[in-house]
Amino acid sequence: MSDRMNIEDYLAQGGVLSAPDNVPARYRGELLRLMSSFVDSELAASAGFAGAINFAPGIKERIAASRITLEKADHAERVLQVMADFGTDMARYQASHDWAARVARDADLGAARRLGDMRLSVFHYPIVGWTDAVVMNVLQGLATGIQMSELTRVSYGPLAEVFRKIAPREARHAELGLEGLARIVATDSGREEARQAVAYWQPRVAAGFGLTNSARYETLARFGLRHSPNEVLLSRWEALTAQHLAALGL
Amino acid sequence: MARFHPLKVIDVRRETRDAVVVTLEPRDEDRALFGFTQGQYLTFRRNFDGEELRRSYSICAGVDEGCLKVGIKRVEGGAFSTWANENLAPGDEIEAMPPMGKFHTELDPEAEKHYLAIAAGSGITPILSIIKTVLAREPKSRLTLVYANRQVSSIMFREELEDLKNLHLGRFSVLHVLKAEAQEIELFTGRIDAEKMAALFRHWIDPATIDTVFICGPEAMMLSVAASLREHGLRDDQIKFELFASSQPGRAKVRPVPRAEAARAGNGVAATVTLDGTTRSFQMPCEGETILDAALANAMDAPYSCKAGVCSTCRCKVLEGEVEMAVNHALEDYEVRAGYVLSCQARPISDRVVVSYDE
Repeated sequence: MSDRMNIEDYLAQGGVLSAPDNVPARYRGELLRLMSSFVDSELAASAGFAGAINFAPGIKERIAASRITLEKADHAERVLQVMADFGTDMARYQASHDWAARVARDADLGAARRLGDMRLSVFHYPIVGWTDAVVMNVLQGLATGIQMSELTRVSYGPLAEVFRKIAPREARHAELGLEGLARIVATDSGREEARQAVAYWQPRVAAGFGLTNSARYETLARFGLRHSPNEVLLSRWEALTAQHLAALGL
Repeated sequence: MARFHPLKVIDVRRETRDAVVVTLEPRDEDRALFGFTQGQYLTFRRNFDGEELRRSYSICAGVDEGCLKVGIKRVEGGAFSTWANENLAPGDEIEAMPPMGKFHTELDPEAEKHYLAIAAGSGITPILSIIKTVLAREPKSRLTLVYANRQVSSIMFREELEDLKNLHLGRFSVLHVLKAEAQEIELFTGRIDAEKMAALFRHWIDPATIDTVFICGPEAMMLSVAASLREHGLRDDQIKFELFASSQPGRAKVRPVPRAEAARAGNGVAATVTLDGTTRSFQMPCEGETILDAALANAMDAPYSCKAGVCSTCRCKVLEGEVEMAVNHALEDYEVRAGYVLSCQARPISDRVVVSYDE
């Protein structure tokens, strides 16, 4: 069969790539960047939630926080394994940053990354208590659910498969958060505390959707690595969040 | 990080006029590393006139065959595949990385599945591995293979597939589609495109019975087959793709002739490179050679991958001296400001340079 086509055209038409050897150079860079952002975010999220285990008011909550801590690290490892196919040194990679490091609570990072650490900026902020942890997990968990609708469709087949396995477990993390939040808002003081946490985390989670009219989005869309622009995903998240928070009286 | 290991060539069998099947054996100590899953591939490396070429070829053996076999079809102008077809002989050694690839699904001896496999040309190699493994390990499952070729004489594994069909009657069927040869049934003449797929689904294969589809072939075929499968109700998670692993023809590059000034400069650059806690110092030319190539030339196993300034696997930090990057598609401005460079793109512009891969 000699009917080969230009790989960029293939991708633009929805083609799927299957091995490091057949990805074009620029695609590879963007794919690795996408993967490292996910891996770093999951490792930072896991490290952040590890601290929240000790904020848990009861055994049920403690188990939920432990499970989130465990599974987010597992998800990071699965994606890192795909990066390893591209030559990434797994051992060095996972030790490259202090995943538990956090900035001051009142710092304002916007959407900026810090040094070589590609975690979403929201994962640089410290969690200060149980309600805070639950609210952060709900808001970011709903955001992850929206992002997963993109990630499960990426044009690099082996990565899309990993994300399809991860997606339902990430969705469960958000559900655990919503269950926890429902218990918190059952009291007036709990509801007030939750309101303050929502005010703190909402803009920080929103920043994770990136810039509107992003130039990089165009490149990623051409490569089949993205399908909906940042602003569309953000407004979907805003609608979803508003719906859940309203149901909880927040 | 995956490393290369020597494999001994046990057998080279001519499969078609322009394809060979090579049987390979790892050293005893590497045997566990070369255990594989059906549908995986091996990446080989070899020097052609001083230029290292890496090429991937799918394993065509089933997991229970107890050996490693790859099918290598000669690509017009392809240095590696031509060499393999013309020069490779039993007794030779060839370096390969352990098997990689995710072109497979979990097997379950109790499963009763129907797999559809669609291959074009040498795209049959990973599919053959899958077919043999499924037939052996999932005794209640069945497979249908749609296999496109130019003509009968160019069909790889024609006899082996025929034998498998006879051995597993009712579980394995093959539909050959030939581009340049008319067959009794018109459906089997031509190429696999949307129309052909629709006809196959109308007359031969009930899409509702299919659990998983494996597709391996060139881009255009994969696109039309995938579109057709979706049209017939299959979900993305039921479709497994394997693009021809080596999509570039792989001509060995001619090394650029060093420029006169480089030779004139004489003294070169004093380079110090730290890797894995080990520091080595050596002279490298003032022009032409990258930090990465110089480190590799000095027997340092520096990490790299694409050598195109993109994957950032080769990132190192300049501690002293200055370097210039030809292209940088991976590092953000802030990283560059922090002193990081892509070593595959970085050439020294000072007469002394100290870099570290460890920081």
